[in-house]
Amino acid sequence: MSSVSSLAAMYQEALLAHHRAPRNKRELAAPTGVAVHKNPVCGDEIRVMVRVEDGRLADVSFGGQSCSVGTASASLMTEAVQGLPVREALAMADNLDAMLSGDPEAVLPESLAPLRSVAPFAGRHGCARLPWTGLREALAGSRLTGG
Amino acid sequence: MSAALAPRSDFPLLASNPGLHYLDSAATSQKPRVVLDALRDFYETANANPHRGAYALSALATERYHDARHTIARFVGLADSDCLIFTRGTTESMNFVASAWGPSNVQAGDEIIITALEHHANFVPWQQLALATGATLRIVELTDRQTIDLDHLRDLLSPRTRVVALTHVSNAVGAITPLAEAVRLIRSRSAAIIVVDGAQAVPHLPVHFDTLDVDFYAFSGHKLLGPMGIGCLIGRRALLESMSPYQFGGDMIEWVHDTHSTWNVIPHKFEAGTPNAADAVALAAAVRYLESLGMDNVRAHELALLELADARVRELPGVTVYGPPPAERSGVVSFSLADVHPHDLATILDQHGVCVRAGHHCAQPLMRRLGVSATARASFYVYSDASDVEALVHALQAAQALFATADSPT
Repeated sequence: MSSVSSLAAMYQEALLAHHRAPRNKRELAAPTGVAVHKNPVCGDEIRVMVRVEDGRLADVSFGGQSCSVGTASASLMTEAVQGLPVREALAMADNLDAMLSGDPEAVLPESLAPLRSVAPFAGRHGCARLPWTGLREALAGSRLTGG
Repeated sequence: MSAALAPRSDFPLLASNPGLHYLDSAATSQKPRVVLDALRDFYETANANPHRGAYALSALATERYHDARHTIARFVGLADSDCLIFTRGTTESMNFVASAWGPSNVQAGDEIIITALEHHANFVPWQQLALATGATLRIVELTDRQTIDLDHLRDLLSPRTRVVALTHVSNAVGAITPLAEAVRLIRSRSAAIIVVDGAQAVPHLPVHFDTLDVDFYAFSGHKLLGPMGIGCLIGRRALLESMSPYQFGGDMIEWVHDTHSTWNVIPHKFEAGTPNAADAVALAAAVRYLESLGMDNVRAHELALLELADARVRELPGVTVYGPPPAERSGVVSFSLADVHPHDLATILDQHGVCVRAGHHCAQPLMRRLGVSATARASFYVYSDASDVEALVHALQAAQALFATADSPT
């Protein structure tokens, strides 16, 4: 059962700072993959844009509207996967899922630590996952188009 | 007015969670002990398959089921209780009408009217019926207070209108439809059948079906203190008798020949399979509980709380409250706070023991018209009191403080 102290942890400054001033919330020039992912529970919508070059994420950005958790997760994600090989970005998405599901072995870069605070809030996992699901879809689309 | 109308001690979940401020009764109500007892009692003392066995226990189950239908019909002002069909809830009831009445009565060139205020359960079945039959779907727009625009309804009505489906009370903003006025308008300008979503009306307002002059009226048990999985569809006898069955199977047949079958009389024609007798009996217990409180008292209690909550929430900076003034609303406060997403709000409120719904409330057409993806909704019922309102306001202030701190430059 989560408590007021874990609430404070979730809404720690790091997460709120990304909500307040999201990184990479912009249009992407010449994307190789774009995915719009909606959360049917709340109606939120995040659009993830990727440009894959030589199997790496040359650029990634996002748009749309969502709650603080969704926006912060998107912002943190775009910073974390920037420049990574596609394979590693997808692994990171899998690890994020595992972390939210309570897997203590899940390895995440230190920069994504603020998202660990979402784990006690099962009702918000969908918000945190929203951009990562969008990333997977954008990358899948990118592969299909040969990007 | 600050006390609850029904004692919290009547509701086991509330009694065992004294710090809980349950403000999501529009989604589902809490259940009084008498309802849980009735459910248990049916299974412990009367459990057999109704309408089946030639033995006393089955006859008892049949009698309990029959009495439940009678009790619930009386509660909603329906004299002919055969016209009350048990369903799983409002959603199934609406799908039932759209799929059992729709295809043989609606064709290309006809028009179906719904409103922008509808819950998806009274929107999508008609949208799909229109798509399947080639009929045209017309949507009545709303006033700037999120009530059904009767002038627009008047403009849309024509001899081509076959169905008007509208809500009695909006689940998302609580707006009460002036149903008598709408019905007069519809009757004067079309021969359409009138289908009413009463899911948010029957729990909160006195409803008398026989005086409404509508053709179908649906509601759910779980929103009026009853169990989940049982609801009702009321229809006019002539319409119900003219309709083909919705599902086929046991109980609904009169005689099954090798090549064809004939149907049982209403309501059984529309209740294929073993009926949900236990939940019907428990719903009847819920209805008796509400009758003991008095539906006029329920309305008065909710209105007093609503007026308090509406005023207190409006005092907060950056708040937008949707819907008409409290006198024209059921016990719902649907609102947004500037800079705090409703989903964040619900999580923060939860940590203060305050349960509210955040989301589109299964009313995406309405959300589009409001220009928001979601709102937060606090809703009241017989066990709510002024301390729930104060807890809500306190938690909202805490949420604003949290986001204000984060937004200030460091």
